[in-house]
This record gives sequence, C-alpha cells and structure tokens, in this order.
Amino acid sequence: MSTFGALNTAYRGLTAAQQAMTVAGQNIANAATDGYTRQRVEQSAIAAPAQGLNGSGRPEVGQGVSVDSIARLGNTTLDASVRSASAQAGYASTRSAALQGIEGVLQEPGDNGISTALQGFWAAWQGAARQPDDDGPKGLLLTAANSLTDKISTGYQALQAQWSSVRAKASDAVDAVNAAASQVAAYNATIRSTVAAGGTANELIDARAKLTETIARLAGGTVREQPDGTVDVHIGGNALVMGTSVRTLALSGQSTDALGAPVQLLWKNPDGVASTDGGEIAGALSVLAPAAGGNGGAIAEAAASYNGFASALATAVNAVHQTGTTGSGTTGTDFFTVTGPSAALGIKGPISTSAVALGKSGAGAFDTSVADAMAQLGTGSTSPDKLWSGIVTGIGVQSRGAQQREDLAAATQASAVTGRASQTSVSLDEENVNLLTNQHAYQAAARVMTAVDEALDVLINRTGLVGR
Amino acid sequence: MLNRVTNLTMTAAAQRTLQTQQSKLADLQDKASTLNKISRPSDDPAATAQALETRALQAANAQYGRNIDDGNTWLSAADSALQQASNVMQRIKDLTVQAGNGTLPQSGKDAIANELDSLNQDLINVANSKHLGRNIFAGNSDKATPFDGAMPPTFVAAGTSPVERRISETQTVRVDADGGTIFGSGTGSVFDTVNKLATDLRNGADTMPRVSEIDDAYKKIVNGRADVGARQAQLDRAGTVNTGMEASLDAQRTGIEKADLGSVIMDLKLQETNYQVALAATARVLQPTLMDFLR
Repeated sequence: MSTFGALNTAYRGLTAAQQAMTVAGQNIANAATDGYTRQRVEQSAIAAPAQGLNGSGRPEVGQGVSVDSIARLGNTTLDASVRSASAQAGYASTRSAALQGIEGVLQEPGDNGISTALQGFWAAWQGAARQPDDDGPKGLLLTAANSLTDKISTGYQALQAQWSSVRAKASDAVDAVNAAASQVAAYNATIRSTVAAGGTANELIDARAKLTETIARLAGGTVREQPDGTVDVHIGGNALVMGTSVRTLALSGQSTDALGAPVQLLWKNPDGVASTDGGEIAGALSVLAPAAGGNGGAIAEAAASYNGFASALATAVNAVHQTGTTGSGTTGTDFFTVTGPSAALGIKGPISTSAVALGKSGAGAFDTSVADAMAQLGTGSTSPDKLWSGIVTGIGVQSRGAQQREDLAAATQASAVTGRASQTSVSLDEENVNLLTNQHAYQAAARVMTAVDEALDVLINRTGLVGR
Repeated sequence: MLNRVTNLTMTAAAQRTLQTQQSKLADLQDKASTLNKISRPSDDPAATAQALETRALQAANAQYGRNIDDGNTWLSAADSALQQASNVMQRIKDLTVQAGNGTLPQSGKDAIANELDSLNQDLINVANSKHLGRNIFAGNSDKATPFDGAMPPTFVAAGTSPVERRISETQTVRVDADGGTIFGSGTGSVFDTVNKLATDLRNGADTMPRVSEIDDAYKKIVNGRADVGARQAQLDRAGTVNTGMEASLDAQRTGIEKADLGSVIMDLKLQETNYQVALAATARVLQPTLMDFLR
C-alpha cells in the first residue's frame, strides 16, 4: 500500500458522497415532476490490487469506493401495465363519451323527446276527430305532425354532427400519434449516442416513456426495449417506430366525410391497413363504423334506428290514412311523404288541412273512423311508440355498459399508475435520509483525510528531528 | 414493492379520493335539486322503458278524459232535445184526448188541428237541432236539415256513421242519437202521424185510431231518451275510471322517475359529511414530512 493511498481512498469517499447528495438533490427537485423516475447512485467498493510477483505478501485493504452509474429505478413491467391500462381506458372512455352523446340527442325521458311528440301527434288525431267540421283542430294536427318530423330530423342531424366531431377528434389523435412517434425516434437517436458514450440518459428516457404512454393511450401499441437503449413501438404488430425510423398513420377518406362513410386507420409508406390494439383511436373507429344490422358503429346504428323509426311511422300512418277520404275528396293518399336516402331527414307531413283524411267516404261528411283508427296506432304492441321505446332502451343499455366498462378501465388505470408511482416516485423522507447519510459520509471522509494528513505531517515534518 | 408509499402516491390518492367524493356529492346535489331518478336512459334502461310506457298511457288517458267530457256535452244536448220532444208529444197526446170528445164543434177541432200543426213544426225543429254546429240526430252527416222536404219530412242522413267518442283503449261510446229510429222518416214517421191526426180532425173523421199511433211515436222518443241516458251513465262511469286511472298513473310515474325526497336528503347529508372527513384527513396527511423534524 502506497503512502498516499489512504488520501485517495478518502477522496473517493468524498466524491461519492457528493455525487449521492447531488442525486438526492435532483430527486427532491423533481419530486413533483410528472413522469420523473427516481434515481440512485450505484456504487461499489474497490478491491485491493491483486498481489503480483512483487506483492508485499501482507493483507491489503481495498482502495475506496467507485461510483458505477446513476441508475433509473424504473420498471419496464409496470410501465407496460400502465400503457396497456391506458390503452383500455382510452378505448372505453371514447366509446362511453360517444354513447352518452347519442343519449343526449334522444332527450328521453322528458318533454322534449320524440315520445312526447308522438303522444301529442296521436292526441291531435283524436282532437281533430272531435271537431271534423272545424279546420282549427286539423291545423293543430298538422302542427303536431311537424313537431314530430322536426324532432326526428333534428335528432338525425345531431347524430350527423356528432359523427363529424368524433371523426375530427380521431383525425387529431392520429396526428398526435404521428408527432409522438417522430419524437420517440428523435429521443432514440439521442439516447443511443449518449448511452454509447457512457453518459446518463435517465431524464431522456423519462421523456420518451411519457411519449410512448401517449401513443398507447391514443392507439394502443406495445413497446420493445432494445439493447442499445432505443425502443421500438409496435401498433397492431407493425412497427410504428423502429430505432430512428418512423412510419406514419392516417385516417382513410376525407375530413369532409359524413355519417355512414367507412373510416379506417391506414399505414403510409408503404401503404396498408392498420389494426389497433385499443386506445382512443380504436374507440373512435368503433363508434364511427357504418351500420351493419345492429353490429355496426354506435352512431351509425343510432342513425339507422332513426331512419327505421321514421319509415315504420310513415308506413303505419299512411296505411291507415289511405283508407280515408281527404277534405278535398281524394282517397288513397299518404299522410307522411318520405323522400331522399334518409327517411329521418325526408319525412314530412302534409302542408294543407285539406290533405288530411279523418273519415271514410260514404259514412257521412263528418265521419272520423280513420282518425280514431290512427289514434289507436299509438297503443298497439307493434306501435311506433313501442318501437321508439325499444330504440331508447337499447341505446340506454349500450351506454350503461360502456360507462361501466369505462369505470372499470379507469379503475384499472388508476391502480396501474399507482403501482408504478409507488415504485418510481420520489419519497421526500427517503431522500432526506439519503441526504443525511451522505452528508455524514462526506464529513467522515473529510475526517479520514484530515487524520491521514496529520499522520503524514508527523511522518514528514516531525520525523528525524532527534538531537537537533 | 407496491407497498412503498411516497409523497406523490399519497397526494395522488388523496386527490382521487377527494375527486370521487366530490363527484358523488355533485350527483346527489343534482338529484336533490331535480328529484329525478332518471335523467338519461343509461341511468336505468329498464325504468326508462317503463317511464316511456307510463307517459304514453298518461297522455292517452288525458285524451280519453277530454273525449269523455266532450261526449258528455253531446249526450246532454241530445237529452235536452229529446226532453223537449217528449214535452211536445205530451201536449199532442193531451190534445188528441181532447179532440176525441164527441161534443166538440168543428171550429174547436180546427183550432186543435192548428195547434197540432204548430206542435209538429216544433218537433221538426227539435229533430233538426244542433250541438256546436253539428246535427244531434243525424250521425256524421253535414246536412243543414236532416229532416227535410214537404210534410211529412224524410230523414235524409240515413246510412251515415254514428258520432262516437273513444273513452278507453278498447271502448267507444256513441254520443249522438239515431234520428231515423226515434222520429222515423217520411210516411210512418211521428211527423206523418201528427199531420194525419190534424187532417182527420179538419175532415171531421174519427181520431180514436190515431191515439195508439201517437202513443207508439211517444214511446219511441222516450226509448231514445232512455238510450241516451244509459250511455250518459256509461260515460259517467268511464269518467270515474279515467280519473282514478289518472291518479294511479301519476303515482306510478312518480315512483319510476322521481327520487324519494327523504332518502335523497339523507344521502346528501351523509355525503357532505364524508366529503368533509375526506378533506380533513387529506389536510392532516399531506402536512408532515421528515423535514419538519430534522434540523
């Protein structure tokens, strides 16, 4: 052991303690930083040099402490569970929000819904039946019919607007995924070169983890860590980010597309259809899908229900109306006219009271048997009221299910985030203890240095002075 | 490893707890201020279906109630018209008995005949009487005078459908009276009988055979009135049922859609306490760190 070895050992202790205090300071400084992962100084004791041929043959003490690295105390498993929980929560919350939007359009049960308008419509027929000699009640009947058709078409238009808004949001989400993916690639490049040069990239890794979490929330996806410090992000089994190269995603169709148009998630360069593993985009795509006999997208299915209801209403009412004679004497005429591809938008009542048939011909000018039969349409087991009630209940059940799934997914996400936070977040108490420990270690190392210094002082300055 | 508790996890947990408690509080406050159990279908899809059904039944019931009221005015009008008719017939019967007196001079018979003519005209007016501009005794006809033409007038509205009001989902009630049956048409009608009686009196013929004819015509009018009365009783019963139904449907709907005030207030008070406890606990938990004790 050399003369100054002990000084060197003390110096190593000083720097190690200093480094540890600096890391504790960094941790405390970032105690509230979102996405920050706590760090630790990894240190190890330096062994005594191996005894060579010229070794002293005496036992030797080690040579102090070495700061090996500053470790990021993250956990890839917990990160992965947060990402997968985020993907599910994003999917569930988008679906739940869309279905609650559809429910909002229904305005049921209440005085502004279609059911109230329907009841008003049937009542107006009976009102007209009481005074067939008067045009007033017939006018009220036309108003009731208009109010009903208005409600149907307004509801349908609200669904169209909702579809466009969800599509716009999905498009924004795709843009956000692309932006996040290119940032991940940029971080990959920096982290790879930093790690290769032996540096510490902990904060960069934190920032990149936040980005991959964003991608997971929006589009699902899995993250694979590579030995060189980079990560690959895969969506639906295909690489979105691989090292420093990025593939971009896009939505099919135009931003001006309207309700009913197919929407898909597409890969660019090279082109292809992308599948998602959850996330907000998958949730949006699932509610945007075209109607498919009850199994299509929620918005399009609701719109199809509106169309089906409008057609059924027109068919039922017209079938009865055709048996009667109108005020102007014609028979076999329709009450509701339905034009255009969407029955909900194209359903219209008559404009003039003379087009209303209250009774049959040959039973007296004031016969009201048709009006009575019409009012009876509202009470049967196959009545439009029942059909509408079924539609409302169906949407209600779907929405309830989606809200329950959302609650569940949110709880799962909260538990995953808590689990990760309990591992990675900074505990101020813990950092204070570390600070104390290292402060004392620093002071002690300084004391060692002083002790060695004094010993050497004795050896150098006070030795050999005998007899002076 | 999951047991490690840090300031961040504690803050996050406290925030989540506060958020949960606050959203529960907001829900309950909303419920207490509106007392609505169902504000959207997903709150309770099954109850929503029931609520829609009950609302439809309520609307229909209200409409039946209006129909019953309207039917009652019709039947009252028919009843009072028939009462007038029977009063007139009563007078005609009196005159018929008076005319049967063999000692009556021809001038007296002529006077009775004149009065009979004018009473016959009254009968025709009654038979043509209207309610709210509609004929009472001519079904759904729009004829201005359903008993029309020279003496004896014919019933020109035969074959038209009766005026009916729907009083329940399954029942309709006729609210007019059949003029053809009550007064008859042309030859054989009550007008014809009275007219022939007057003619016989003027000709000095024996009027005894006419007495039974007048009695028959009178019976027809009384029967018509009894029929109207029976239907009015039916409407009254339907009205009672309708009112009872209205109350029960209202109670049913309130039960489905409205929350119980007492339980909502209790829940709200309890939740307020919960929230205050959560706030107090949070304030206590978040304060101390090791730094408070180190020097």
